[in-house]
Amino acid sequence: MSRLHPPRVIPQALRPRDTDCVNPRDRLRAVGRRVADPAEEIAQQVTERVVELVVNALDVNELAARIDLNALLSRVDVDAIVKKVDVDALLDQVDLNALLARVDLKPLLDRVDVNELVQQIDMDALIEKTDLGAVIASSSGGMAAEALDAVRSGAVGLDKFVDRWVRRVIRPKQPWPAAPPALLAAQAES
Amino acid sequence: MSTRTPQGALVSYQGNYAGSVSRFAAYSIDLVVSTAVFVLALAAISWGVRVVTGHDVSFHRSNIVVAVIFVSWQFLYFGYCWAVSGRTPGMAVLGIRVVRADGTVLPPKQAVLRSLVFPLSFLLFGLGFIGILVQHEHRALHDLIAGSAVVYSWDARAAQLRFLARQAELPAADIPSPAAARPDPAS
Repeated sequence: MSRLHPPRVIPQALRPRDTDCVNPRDRLRAVGRRVADPAEEIAQQVTERVVELVVNALDVNELAARIDLNALLSRVDVDAIVKKVDVDALLDQVDLNALLARVDLKPLLDRVDVNELVQQIDMDALIEKTDLGAVIASSSGGMAAEALDAVRSGAVGLDKFVDRWVRRVIRPKQPWPAAPPALLAAQAES
Repeated sequence: MSTRTPQGALVSYQGNYAGSVSRFAAYSIDLVVSTAVFVLALAAISWGVRVVTGHDVSFHRSNIVVAVIFVSWQFLYFGYCWAVSGRTPGMAVLGIRVVRADGTVLPPKQAVLRSLVFPLSFLLFGLGFIGILVQHEHRALHDLIAGSAVVYSWDARAAQLRFLARQAELPAADIPSPAAARPDPAS
C-alpha cells in the first residue's frame, strides 16, 4: 500500500495575484491595431490623391526642358550599363529576316558606287588569298600564253628603255603624248 | 641595267604608242612568215607543174617575175592584214596594232595606202623609220603619209592576272623570300 504525503502548502507571499494574469500592453496593442489600420489606409488614399493632383498640375514638358540632359548623362556610366547588357540574348530576340524584309535595298544600292568599290579591291591580295588565281591560270592558255606574255613584256621593256635614251639625247621641249587622243580618252574613262 | 618591265606597270601601256623594238620584232616575224609562205607557195607551184607537165620549174631570186610576184605578195600580205584586223601575224604576237592617228579603227583604204607607201621608208635608206624613235607620236614616214599610228593593244591586265595567278600557284618554297635572296653577310 502506498504511503500518502501531506499536501504542499504555498506561502501567501508567493501566491499569484489576480492582476498578474493580464498584460496591460495587450489591450493597448489591440486598440492601436484598430486605429492604425484605417489610418494607414486613409493616408495611402490621401497620398495617391495628392500625387495625382500634383502630377496633373505639373507641366512635364517644361520640367523636361529644365533638365540638363548633358549634365545628367555625363554622370551616367554608359560602359557599366553596356557591360550589363547581354547582347547575345538581345540579338537572339531580333528577327533579322523580318527586319531585312522591311528594308528597301534598291535606293540603298543606288547610292553605292560599285565602280569605286571595285577599285578599292586589292586584286593581288585577292588572288593570293583565294582560288581565283588557280581559276585564271587554268582558264588561260597555259605555257603558250605565258611565253607570249613574256615576249610582249620584254619587248615593252626594251621599247621603254630605248625611248628613255632617245629622249635623253634629243631632250624634247614638251612632253610627248602617251597615246592617240581617242585612246587617251578611253583610258581616262576606264 | 634591267630592261624588264614590272608586270604591274604594263596595264598603263595599253593603248600607248608602240615603241621601236616591238615594231621591229613584229616586222621581223612578218618578214619570216610572209617569205616562208611565199617560198612554200613557189615550191607547191613547182611541184604541181612538174606533176602536170613533167618538166622541172625553178624559181630564182634574180628572176624579175619572181621579184614582182614577191613584192606584190608583200603588199597583199600587209595590206590585207592591216585592212581586215589592223594587225599582221607578227603584230599579233607582239600585241600591237595599227590605228588611225587619232586612235580610232584604221579604215581599209588607209590600210591599203599604208602598205603602198610602206616601201618609201626603206627606199630613203631606212630614214623613214627614224620617226619611230624621234617623232613625238612614234610615227614613221609611212605612218605620217597614211595618217596611221601603231599602239599596244594586248590585254595587259589579263596578262597581269595570269602572272599573279602563276605566282599564287607556285609552292611557297619555290618563291625566294627577300630575306633568302639577300646574301648572308657572315659568309
